[in-house]
Amino acid sequence: MKKTLSLTAALSLLAVTLTACGSVPANTVHSADDLVGKTIGCQLGTTGYIFAGDVEDATVEPYNKGADAVQALKQGKVDAVIIDSEPAKVFVEKNDTLQILPDPFVEEEYAIAYKKGNDELGEKIDNALTQLKEDGTLAEITSHWIGDEADYVSYVPEDTTNTNGTLVMATNAEFPPYESMEGGEIVGIDVDMMKAVCDVLDMELVVENMEFDSIIAAVDSGKADVGVAGLSVTPDREKNVSFTQGYAVSTQVIIVRKD
Amino acid sequence: MNFFTQFGDKLYSTFIEDDRWMYLADGLKTTLIVTFFAVIVGVILGFLLAVIRATHDKTGRLKFLNFLAKIYLTVIRGTPVVVQLLIIYFVIFASINVDKIFVAVLAFGLNSAAYVAEIVRSGIMSIDNGQFEAGASLGLNYTRTMIHIILPQAIRNILPALANEFIVLLKETSVAGYIALTDLTKGGDIIRSATYEAFLPLLAVALIYLIMVMLLSWLVSRLERRLSKSDRG
Repeated sequence: MKKTLSLTAALSLLAVTLTACGSVPANTVHSADDLVGKTIGCQLGTTGYIFAGDVEDATVEPYNKGADAVQALKQGKVDAVIIDSEPAKVFVEKNDTLQILPDPFVEEEYAIAYKKGNDELGEKIDNALTQLKEDGTLAEITSHWIGDEADYVSYVPEDTTNTNGTLVMATNAEFPPYESMEGGEIVGIDVDMMKAVCDVLDMELVVENMEFDSIIAAVDSGKADVGVAGLSVTPDREKNVSFTQGYAVSTQVIIVRKD
Repeated sequence: MNFFTQFGDKLYSTFIEDDRWMYLADGLKTTLIVTFFAVIVGVILGFLLAVIRATHDKTGRLKFLNFLAKIYLTVIRGTPVVVQLLIIYFVIFASINVDKIFVAVLAFGLNSAAYVAEIVRSGIMSIDNGQFEAGASLGLNYTRTMIHIILPQAIRNILPALANEFIVLLKETSVAGYIALTDLTKGGDIIRSATYEAFLPLLAVALIYLIMVMLLSWLVSRLERRLSKSDRG
């Protein structure tokens, strides 16, 4: 037993030494133009991945999770990360060695994806969205998650008997503040908004957590009714699924290490 | 007819458009490189561990080395390979910018070594003690008996199990995408993320793995036949 302990101690010491030696390289990206020829981390399947692919001579490293890309940036494995602005703010808030560059890429709109041809459902959700926008529910939900007044309180659905069945929502809970895991539950703007939509439609919401690049396929194959995961509308995506009206505006931003 | 034109369109968008087949080709190259070197690391380290463990079992020597080997086997076989891969990438090489292929070779090689070790050990233990005694009576010491008499017989016995381990290893490298290494599986995922079409990329990836495994099985069965030719019994 003693031997095991001392060995474990020796091994962890070795690991710590390995970890400590070698320092994180200084930041070399100060604007979008500096990205040329650099190594860019991003999340596979996101619009950030598409933008990174357009950068001249850049090596693009597609991680399965945005948080993994940010981790790689912190450790100096990539030079910059391109990701949606709101998750970027959350990541930077939690890592004081990182910063967001001031010049963002183009604006894009998040919308809810549903199966092509299922226009009946699409229309119902679209109408519900319009209603939630008009009566201020959507703005209120958003205010709980974004801004200085954010208190991260989840939307409480009205306690009605759900007569119209279930609505399965595919998402990727790695994208705060839109969706993330909190105490074993998936919370965030998208989840709250869909709860509110389900209240309007008198349906029960079922949230399915999966890899981001599986969401469109899940909707397309009917495994989920809707895809709600901060999905921006792109021409490629529109070939495979239909989108409702937009519910939020976002930009892609560049995260780098602090100078 | 409509079905075929649609299928043709999908074939085009999955493989031809924007040279997307290149993701699969590059991915295949990475998978093969990682597997090849991981097999080498696994075999060398695995044989070493097996000899240490078998020597201890047979003679009672190498107590401390056997103890280390046992810890190694317990830890490696007791944790998932994808967790080991992430630990090597994000913890052990935390602040060192290290080549990802090297990380993958190390992770899969170290992992495979533990399984190879137990396979080889079972092979050594399956050889009758009389063979050790025969070696000794010919004036060979323990090491030479091991190398010239025991291991050649053991290898023939364990070849199917070893081949099985290499097949598992080849398929296990499909989790390399976790550290953003574009292997064959990740290559398919990248196509999937661009076309949002699951059927063709996944099928193509599966088919390529299947062909590689069949090729490997065929090579091993040939090797087995050749080795059994030298067997007089």
